[in-house]
Amino acid sequence: MVPALALTVDGKREAGARAQGGRFIVLFDPNRLIAAIARSGDRAAFAALFDHFAPRVKGLLMRGGAPAELAEEVAQETLLAVWRKAALFDPAKASASTWIATIARNLRIDIARRETRSRLSQVYEILDDEAPEQPDATLSGAERDARVRAAMTQLSPDQYRVVELAFLEGFSHQDVADRLAIPLGTVKSRLRLALSHLRGRLEDLR
Amino acid sequence: MSIMHRPSEETLAAFAAGQLDEGLAVVVACHIEADPESRRRLRELEAVQGALLDKVEPVAMAAGPRDAGGVARTAPASGMAGPSPEAGMRQVLRPYGLGPWRPIGVRIAMRRVEVPGAGARVFMLRAGPGIALPHHKHTGFEWTTILAGAYEHEYGRYAAGDFDEADSEHDHTPRVDPVEGCTCIVAMTGHVQLQGWLGRLLQPLVRF
Repeated sequence: MVPALALTVDGKREAGARAQGGRFIVLFDPNRLIAAIARSGDRAAFAALFDHFAPRVKGLLMRGGAPAELAEEVAQETLLAVWRKAALFDPAKASASTWIATIARNLRIDIARRETRSRLSQVYEILDDEAPEQPDATLSGAERDARVRAAMTQLSPDQYRVVELAFLEGFSHQDVADRLAIPLGTVKSRLRLALSHLRGRLEDLR
Repeated sequence: MSIMHRPSEETLAAFAAGQLDEGLAVVVACHIEADPESRRRLRELEAVQGALLDKVEPVAMAAGPRDAGGVARTAPASGMAGPSPEAGMRQVLRPYGLGPWRPIGVRIAMRRVEVPGAGARVFMLRAGPGIALPHHKHTGFEWTTILAGAYEHEYGRYAAGDFDEADSEHDHTPRVDPVEGCTCIVAMTGHVQLQGWLGRLLQPLVRF
């Protein structure tokens, strides 16, 4: 068996993957890669982040119904923004995946609403700068993400699907109803129920 | 400031996903800026998207990374923006043009908030103490964030920072706080029928 490749801080590939329980695990640490870009403009770290995240951003956009060309453009722009804004990344506020997902959201809005000169992405950035709530009680970004992921695994497959559809494909009830071939009223109540279920799990896990 | 009224989970999730009409989103943002609890919830809903990003099936890029070498990197954040120039003004309104305050009656004035590309009409309303706002019915949404002062209607008291999410099922007549007056920002969709003397004054200005 060929050992999996691991990435070091400076992005150099090395066959240093650790064996764990008989399986090789890939050490992909986006926080350290982003820190390496912030510190020294590490281009190998950028390439590693690109390889991991660009196809996922593209996949996320395409799941949301974006044409491949637009999804590709948003993915390229998102990763360039990661390069540009690396020094602004604060792991205490959000995990790398969440940070990158919000950058992609803002760029999707900018690009899709370019002709109307949307300023919505500036609104998100201003809100993002607001001081965190109750500093001592605030979980780190990684802890918050772990909690959210745990809450998501507690959704029923039906609820998970409704939440996923709503986030990726839109909160237009009619679209989701068409997609799942269920009546409009059912979509409304299912989405409301799924979101309140997710909220309940999140509060339980606080 | 103690927030009593917040957006529904669905509204906050649609905001987090970047899927609200920009006019409605601006009014929601005015609430979120004032409410640490809604900011916490927003960050959790953004983390849902981070989790979805990790789970999504990757799609191969047509091209490799663009050359980032020539792209300047931003220095660390300089911190919060300066103080708001006006009481009740929100930082999230900085990107938008604001029309002049125009009196539309005795002790009541409105100003447009210019949100390009929005389907909803957005405006600020400032009313003196004790005024009854126009009684009205409408077909779409009417979302309001209180910027300063307070009003009260059948569903409770709404003070600075509170969010009032009304749809066509609601039919209300807000009464402005008798001491503080009220300044709020409103986004409306659909058609509205305003009633009473104030309604008739407001009608041409809101341009439905």
